[in-house]
Amino acid sequence: MALFVPETILLVLSIILFFMTVMKKETAAKCARPFMIFSGMAVLLGCIYALPVSGSLFYGTYKVDLLSQGFKFIIALAFLFTILFSDKMIGVPQGRQVEYFFFLFTASLGMMMLTSAAEILTLYISLELSSYSLYLLSAIRQDRRNAEASVKYLIFGAAASGIFLWGFSLIAGLSGTTSLLEISKTAPSLVSNPAFSLGLVLVSFAFLFKLSSFPAHFWAPDVYESAATPVTNFIATASKAAAVAIMIRVFLLLGVSGAFVSILGAVAFISMTLGNCVALVQKDVKRLLAYSSIAQAGYILLGLLAGSFGGYSSSFFYAFAYVVMNTGAFLVVILVAKSLKHDNPQIEHFDGLAERSPFLALILLLSLLSLAGIPPLLGFTGKWILFTSAMEKGHWFLVLWAVINSVVSLFYYLTIVKHAYLEKPKTSDPLAVPLSMKALGFCLFFALVFLGIYPNFFVEFAQRAVVTSLAP
Amino acid sequence: MVRLIALGASAATVVLSIYLCFQFDSSNPNFQFVENIPWIQSYGIHYTNAVDGISLPMLLLTAIVIFCGVLVSWSVTYRVKDFFANMLFLVTGVFGVFMTTNLFFFFLYYEVAVIPMYLLIVIWGSTNKQYAAMKLTLYLLLGSALMFAGFLYMYSVPGSHTFDLVTIKESVRFAPHIQNILFLALFVGFGVLAACFPFHVWSPDGHVAAPTAASMLHAGVLMKLGAYGIMRIAVYLLPEGARHWAFTIACLALINIVYGAMVATQQRDLKFMIGYSSVSHMGIVLLGIATMTVAGFNGAVFQMFAHGIMTALFFACVGFIYDGCHTRMIDELGGLSKEAPKISAFFIIAGLCGLGIPGLGTFVAELLVTIAAISVYPVIGIASIVALLITAYYILSAIQTSFYGPFNPKHAHFEDIGWLQFIPRAILVGCLVFFGVFPQVFIQWVAGSTKVLLGG
Repeated sequence: MALFVPETILLVLSIILFFMTVMKKETAAKCARPFMIFSGMAVLLGCIYALPVSGSLFYGTYKVDLLSQGFKFIIALAFLFTILFSDKMIGVPQGRQVEYFFFLFTASLGMMMLTSAAEILTLYISLELSSYSLYLLSAIRQDRRNAEASVKYLIFGAAASGIFLWGFSLIAGLSGTTSLLEISKTAPSLVSNPAFSLGLVLVSFAFLFKLSSFPAHFWAPDVYESAATPVTNFIATASKAAAVAIMIRVFLLLGVSGAFVSILGAVAFISMTLGNCVALVQKDVKRLLAYSSIAQAGYILLGLLAGSFGGYSSSFFYAFAYVVMNTGAFLVVILVAKSLKHDNPQIEHFDGLAERSPFLALILLLSLLSLAGIPPLLGFTGKWILFTSAMEKGHWFLVLWAVINSVVSLFYYLTIVKHAYLEKPKTSDPLAVPLSMKALGFCLFFALVFLGIYPNFFVEFAQRAVVTSLAP
Repeated sequence: MVRLIALGASAATVVLSIYLCFQFDSSNPNFQFVENIPWIQSYGIHYTNAVDGISLPMLLLTAIVIFCGVLVSWSVTYRVKDFFANMLFLVTGVFGVFMTTNLFFFFLYYEVAVIPMYLLIVIWGSTNKQYAAMKLTLYLLLGSALMFAGFLYMYSVPGSHTFDLVTIKESVRFAPHIQNILFLALFVGFGVLAACFPFHVWSPDGHVAAPTAASMLHAGVLMKLGAYGIMRIAVYLLPEGARHWAFTIACLALINIVYGAMVATQQRDLKFMIGYSSVSHMGIVLLGIATMTVAGFNGAVFQMFAHGIMTALFFACVGFIYDGCHTRMIDELGGLSKEAPKISAFFIIAGLCGLGIPGLGTFVAELLVTIAAISVYPVIGIASIVALLITAYYILSAIQTSFYGPFNPKHAHFEDIGWLQFIPRAILVGCLVFFGVFPQVFIQWVAGSTKVLLGG
């Protein structure tokens, strides 16, 4: 049963948590956090244990290989980070904590299943499981704006899954099977069929929705802004990684070619441009990070549309880098928000961060520079191999545009850095950093710097994962 | 304590680079002291370091400037730790660029050298610093965006699949029209950093806003990265593209020289004047490159070295004067040489060097470049000599008003430099004189490698 270890751990623990809801509210709230930290660790260990296994489950509908296990590890990391962040959340009553954690569990479970899905229905079910959990999570903060955003998220998401089903019904109808592997065998003869291409485009739309890329990005700024910050972090990291995982799997099997590449190219182009340009004028840091994530989605698409092993593996690597850098940024946002007692810090609330907490300012600096792709940080290496793969397939214009976009993005990242390092703080009291956050900060620091300088192991891991995932 | 560590580190680089100079075998024009460690193998990325006759003097220059820069910033009191950390981080990038022969690491180090500059200016700078810092960073990174695309293209060409400079040179032949486009991209990319007209606008603002030591590094070393990149990568890998654009570059270089000097004549602020004089002097480097001859290249490398030392000296003097007098306006200073003869002497030596007096480093460099230029582009060569007159005009008149002339009693309390501040400036002057008197030492290092670079 080694194949199903991480998911089993998640299931069992979530059932235990479910029984905690019947306990007295106060006791449950007291026990929930230690229990969750333990769970996060357990899931992470389970993922590490299950990293090298491969095989298939449930009559071939569930594929466990290096690709899925690698992404499960990333999701488990994001899960643990989010749990660590979810302490005394602003705007979320203590009594709701257990439910919040429960949906965090089911969302992670859905995402993990998504990375292993090898059949359309499995894929759909896990997609919905994760999405519905995320809708609920995004609505957990209690204010009107939050309600509006989560309804928007829900409606967009429901529409996206409808479109997804339509697309896959076309593909399944043409190829006569719901197994991705079987479809991939008939795909070469179907590529010229416009209905097949349409199906692929429609399916991709749902994935783009998860990735918060243009044209399915509308939900992102509102949800990022109004969800509780730990939830935003979870959506920004785990959910993105899962989207990249399933895109790699589907594109790898079904192939990207011809007009589809052009469509993805246009999407990436607009996504980068739009995300970066709009981010330039944002004042709310979470909203700014939302637009930056729209731009980052464009970069990731460059690797995916290259359609080569190199392209997919660099997207894999970048997804990992993305989780690390974003967690770094959100770590700082959460602590600043806590010191403000308000969950939506504006850029000017970062004033003088370097004096109030030099450590946090450093983490912020490194995470943002890494997002902008400045060496020798993790994001730089990620971008370098991402763009190399796209260039190899001759997409020189997109690459040039992406690099210019990175420079544009540097402007708003540096603006935050400037506020943190240059402006005088309004309150001079030092910002308290809890021990767990400090430890997490150190881990992120080392990941950002050392994996940026010595990325070889992870790059090769990603390549092995992509190459071996084609084996039946 | 922080200062001592910084000083120790930079002293170590000086010792090491001088040791390197003695170990260097001038009869071997190829790369020496090669280190090669596989890094990300599947992407053809190796950690390779090597030194040849062009990078050797650049390393020496960097070591000298950072050593003096650390000494000059002894008086920094605001966030000392961060300041020196940024300085050393910047210099790490600069050393890396001058040593690496892998395009990936070249780019990595290049950006490592640019980002600390932003922080140095924005935190410790003066005069419109936020604007200048952001402008500088965005300009330089836009330039590097072009480089980045160019590098990736070179990797993606069939038969390449490596980022190693020498391997690309040996295994790939770029078609002429590709060379033309690629060279243009790389030239503009590097040209931004080399302050080539019309991409120079970031440079004077950045110089002025930066704190003294950062200006020294910036004008002395950072701008050289651009010119070095043009030679090492653009010309080396794309010789036909370089020939195609050579005349255009020569024209731009002439504009640099003349326009930089003309603007410098109009400045009131000493730092702005030096900033524009840097633009003008970098024009000479570009002109040397544009000749595409060995003599021109030798001159260009020599000019990079000599100008680096010279501007470092300039900024070291102006920084000191500004700290003492709280003004850098030429007309508000006056008769300083009576009150502070030593600092004035240093400034005047730098000034004389700027206008190319025999016996100082730049003379030989400018001579080599102009001779090469006249033989290739007679009109441009002669025009560049005429432009030296403008240089003489603005430097001499600035010296005239601020160091001689009537004494401004406002600066009566201005104290001359003590021994600690004397040392770095004396080292810089020593270098200028040494290489001005014994230029053959320098030429010996460079000559073989420039020949190889030009494929001769």
